[in-house]
Amino acid sequence: MEKIGYFCTFTPKEIIYAGGFLPVRMLANNQPISLANTHLQSYCCSQVRGCLERLLSGEIEVYGVVFTRSCDSLMRLADIWEKNSKMKVYNIEFPTKINSKSKKYLINEFWEFKNVIESWSGRDITLTSLLKSIELYEEIESLLRKLFELRPDYEMVLKAETEAPERIIRMLRGMSREGKFNSGKQGKKVLVTGSICVVPEIMNIIESSGFLIVDDLCTGTRFFTSDIIREDAPLNSQLNSLDEAVEYLAEKYLLKTPCPTKHYDNDRRFNYVLNRAKDVDAVIFLLMKFCEPYFFDYPQLRDELEKMGKRTLLIEIEHPVSVEQIRTRIEAFAETL
Amino acid sequence: MGIKKLESTKKMREIMLEYYLQGRVTEFNGWVTSGAPVEFLYAMDIYPVYPENHSALIGASKLGPEFSKYSEERGFSQDLCSYARCDIGSVFAGTSPVGGLPKPSFLFACNNICNTVVKWYEVLSRIFKVPLFVLDIPFIRKEMKERYINYVESQLYDFISFLERIKGEKFDERRFREVLKLSVKGVEKYRDVLYSGRNKPSPLTCFDAFLNMAPIVCLRGTDKPVEFYEYMKDELKGRVKTGISAVDNERIRLLWDNIPVWYRLRWFAEFFAERNACMVADTYTNAWAGLLEIDKRDPIRSLAETYIKIYLNIGIDSMVDSINKLIDLYDVDGVVIHSNRSCKPYSFGQYEIQRLLDVPSVIIEADMTDSRSFSEAQIQNRLDAFIEQLEMVR
Repeated sequence: MEKIGYFCTFTPKEIIYAGGFLPVRMLANNQPISLANTHLQSYCCSQVRGCLERLLSGEIEVYGVVFTRSCDSLMRLADIWEKNSKMKVYNIEFPTKINSKSKKYLINEFWEFKNVIESWSGRDITLTSLLKSIELYEEIESLLRKLFELRPDYEMVLKAETEAPERIIRMLRGMSREGKFNSGKQGKKVLVTGSICVVPEIMNIIESSGFLIVDDLCTGTRFFTSDIIREDAPLNSQLNSLDEAVEYLAEKYLLKTPCPTKHYDNDRRFNYVLNRAKDVDAVIFLLMKFCEPYFFDYPQLRDELEKMGKRTLLIEIEHPVSVEQIRTRIEAFAETL
Repeated sequence: MGIKKLESTKKMREIMLEYYLQGRVTEFNGWVTSGAPVEFLYAMDIYPVYPENHSALIGASKLGPEFSKYSEERGFSQDLCSYARCDIGSVFAGTSPVGGLPKPSFLFACNNICNTVVKWYEVLSRIFKVPLFVLDIPFIRKEMKERYINYVESQLYDFISFLERIKGEKFDERRFREVLKLSVKGVEKYRDVLYSGRNKPSPLTCFDAFLNMAPIVCLRGTDKPVEFYEYMKDELKGRVKTGISAVDNERIRLLWDNIPVWYRLRWFAEFFAERNACMVADTYTNAWAGLLEIDKRDPIRSLAETYIKIYLNIGIDSMVDSINKLIDLYDVDGVVIHSNRSCKPYSFGQYEIQRLLDVPSVIIEADMTDSRSFSEAQIQNRLDAFIEQLEMVR
């Protein structure tokens, strides 16, 4: 199966899969940058620079890539990517402003994306193939939610973002059956909030410092959660046309767990984080250096959390990450609690 | 060999002083981003406040690091846009070179220049507890799509309702059309001023253009820019007639890319003048020059289209086209590209753009208002080598 790369969790991977491609998330690795230096400045984040580095070093083998305008850096990366590869490149203009008006707009955006995927694969996306794809991913999402309620497993999310959905479902079902969803560990609860973390050691350090992780990462919970309320009945009894299926998807992505790159009515993002933090003992901000959406939110969000009596710690990630330095800081933080 | 100041700059300072003073006595105002359609505000007699212009002013007063510090102390990262840091910093400081900005009645952010402004204005809306209207503009990487215009147009109607509600007055379309007319006229006059840089030798440098751009940004839609740029154009015409050039013995003509380095305007101006190089134009001010084409039959829809197509909201290929057109229009020998740590949408892609320009170019790294990111020796060496290279091909 040919692969289509995507950068942002607001990409409707269901459409990609329904078109006969395997959607795979594009993530940087924890390596220094060399080739990308002549294409992107040093004040760009490690995710964007790191993905470009992987492209230039020939590591990425996909048929095409899909961008969304989540931030100014990704917005520009689309063109840089296109100029330095032979891949197909497409950008979905996911709205920045999320409200009732955005739905009509997003439906059109997704509809055109469906046409683009069809033109890439040369085959039609049918109601049946789209519903099957939506149901597969919803099963993954629901299993991952159960898993994360008990024990965050970042390697599993990474697999779910890059491997065939049927295989992921088999693995998750197996884990669930064998009772592997429960870690049985005790500890102080810490909310880990941030964007992308491709260094699983950091999460291990947090756990081995005696914390139980409550997750709010883009490479964690936010990959598989949405506020959409779905009836239990099978989708094909609820959605009767492609139009309805695309509309359902648009709604699902608009109701996706809020992200700092979007603008919501009534400060939905802040309220979400504050709510998640209610029962935790502390909060760790795990942020990518140079990531504006998160760093603009940080001071006011930190102040609100501290008003709630939560201790906070800020960790900035820039690849290659020095894990030992981070260990010292997290351990020191754990001791202060 | 010094720089030759324009009389017009004095007049501009008077106009802007009056503008800032007016802000102090105006009770109701909206804080707006530089790429937002301010015409709606002027049509409803709402005084617009421009934090970006204010930060540029802080930068030009060499106070960027000082005001940034006020926001950095509160946790705002030094990697964030320095316009935002200076603005938020001056809110915390409660002052600035013009005594601080008046408190906003509402906020209006348009992401056609960057998504940074959305986050920045969210911060402001939490500080001041006032409503924020975000005008969401899709990015045009390739071709314009009809549905993007529909989306923006429908938001403009929402914005009108928002203003009516918040101001408690009806939107007057006749007045709006008058404002648009003035806006278009102001832009035309401003374009004439910039185009005087096509003369050889040029009577102005882009540093003059930067210094004098505030009226077209802040007062667009009033008669002020129309009058002011007419005056400035006359002064430049006079220079051309009497053979006064901005730079003595102009031998090299250059184009500037990106927002200026505000705290070093004079340094750059002198640096190039001493080398008989004239920076005749720039991509920043010229972005305003092509701003408005209004179809009278449907002004709101055509305004939507205009504000979607602005320079920073287009893909790299279109940016290259625009720069190459400017290279041709102003007949320049080279391009100086400012890689601006504070402006990602303007700076990322510059390495690709550089490979596609019709003339040689050089990239220098700095920041528009934060002088801590300025390495004088390094920049001087790069620019000297570049000018030498241009001299050789002549």
